[in-house]
Amino acid sequence: MKKDRIDELLPEYLDNTISEKDRVELEAHLAQSEDARKELEEMKALFEAFEKEDITVPSNSLRMQFEEALEAEKSKSAKVIPLESKKKKSSWASNVLKIAASIALLVTSFQIGSLFQQKKTDGSIASLESETLQMKQTVMLSLMENQSASKRIQGVNYIEEIPNPDDAVVDALAKRMLNDENDNVRLTAFEALSRFSSSEKVKEVFIEALSKEKNPSIQIVIIQVLVQMQEKEAIGPMQRLLEQEDTQPFIKEQIKTGLPKII
Amino acid sequence: METWTDETIMQKVAKGNLDLLKLLFDRHHKHVYNFLYKMSGDRMLSEDLTQDVFYKVIKYRGTYKNGSFVSWLFTIARNSLKTHFTRNQRNHDDIEVLEYKPVESENLIHEDYSHLQSVLNKLDPSDRELIILNRFKEIKYEELAEIVGSTPGAVKTRVCRVLKKVKQMYLETI
Repeated sequence: MKKDRIDELLPEYLDNTISEKDRVELEAHLAQSEDARKELEEMKALFEAFEKEDITVPSNSLRMQFEEALEAEKSKSAKVIPLESKKKKSSWASNVLKIAASIALLVTSFQIGSLFQQKKTDGSIASLESETLQMKQTVMLSLMENQSASKRIQGVNYIEEIPNPDDAVVDALAKRMLNDENDNVRLTAFEALSRFSSSEKVKEVFIEALSKEKNPSIQIVIIQVLVQMQEKEAIGPMQRLLEQEDTQPFIKEQIKTGLPKII
Repeated sequence: METWTDETIMQKVAKGNLDLLKLLFDRHHKHVYNFLYKMSGDRMLSEDLTQDVFYKVIKYRGTYKNGSFVSWLFTIARNSLKTHFTRNQRNHDDIEVLEYKPVESENLIHEDYSHLQSVLNKLDPSDRELIILNRFKEIKYEELAEIVGSTPGAVKTRVCRVLKKVKQMYLETI
């Protein structure tokens, strides 16, 4: 066994960190060689000296100074860390708040704006509508006074567009129905009025027209409507029509079939 | 907590748990102090330097990279010592101009050395630190290699060679 190898193995052997294989090898060598045994003894003595060597202990001020420095460092870093996180958090929260506030402001202003807009347009549309309605009414009334029969029919037809005609309109229509010289105008006026047959005034107009009307086709539709309305006051004029000689026979037939239905 | 390895503790310290440094201080400050004392032979200086080493551990805890803590610690200790000596070397040069340096005064400073310590004092600083680190702190060859910047094999050979030298000197002068 080489000398260098023994020099390397002896400390390991004494420290008990030697591998099993090396130990067997070394112990075999130690058994043979006196030099090696001497070497081992000497090294052992040295190691014991190392063991016995005093461990000097530093003074307590060392620990105190260390702990002081540690506390200083801790307070330094402790100061920084929460400040950072706090700042971060608050900026995050305030950012969100800012965004939320701006969105809320936007939505509110938009809604208020649209509300005002709606009110305004609603008002203007309503006024516009009533304006056009009045205009139509005026046009209608003036048309009914026109010389031309077709213009008068056109005027009467405008009534279709007026949902709730006032008395002036009904009066104008009644006048047309009773007095107009043109058969078509009277018929159209009758058709327009029949839509408002529930009105007392319209009923009176119909009964009056029945006695005045000479055109058989108009007479027939008046009779039909009055029968449908079950108008008792119409019975008198109808019977008078039956008695009149110039009444057309088919009209008499119509009255005869209609009269029993009223009762 | 008591059973944690130095490395586990140091990782927690690096992440900000500074209180755990006290544990590491308790475990190692005597060894650092003794290493420095055996290297310099000066109690006051060793205390100052030990203080300095642990200041640096606090300050540079962020640079610890999961390696052996003991290696890291003693690398810092070694560097502190080196820095101190290179600084003082200059001062000594200045003083040496006076050519006035009684041997007795040196003996006064280096108070009560044991026989082994006087033997160690005669070694090269680089040999001395190897033996001190290896013998007193029982630092393994791998860690030792890390501290002195060498390979475990080379360190082992050197330690054995120096040990033999120390043994001879120790036995000769006993």
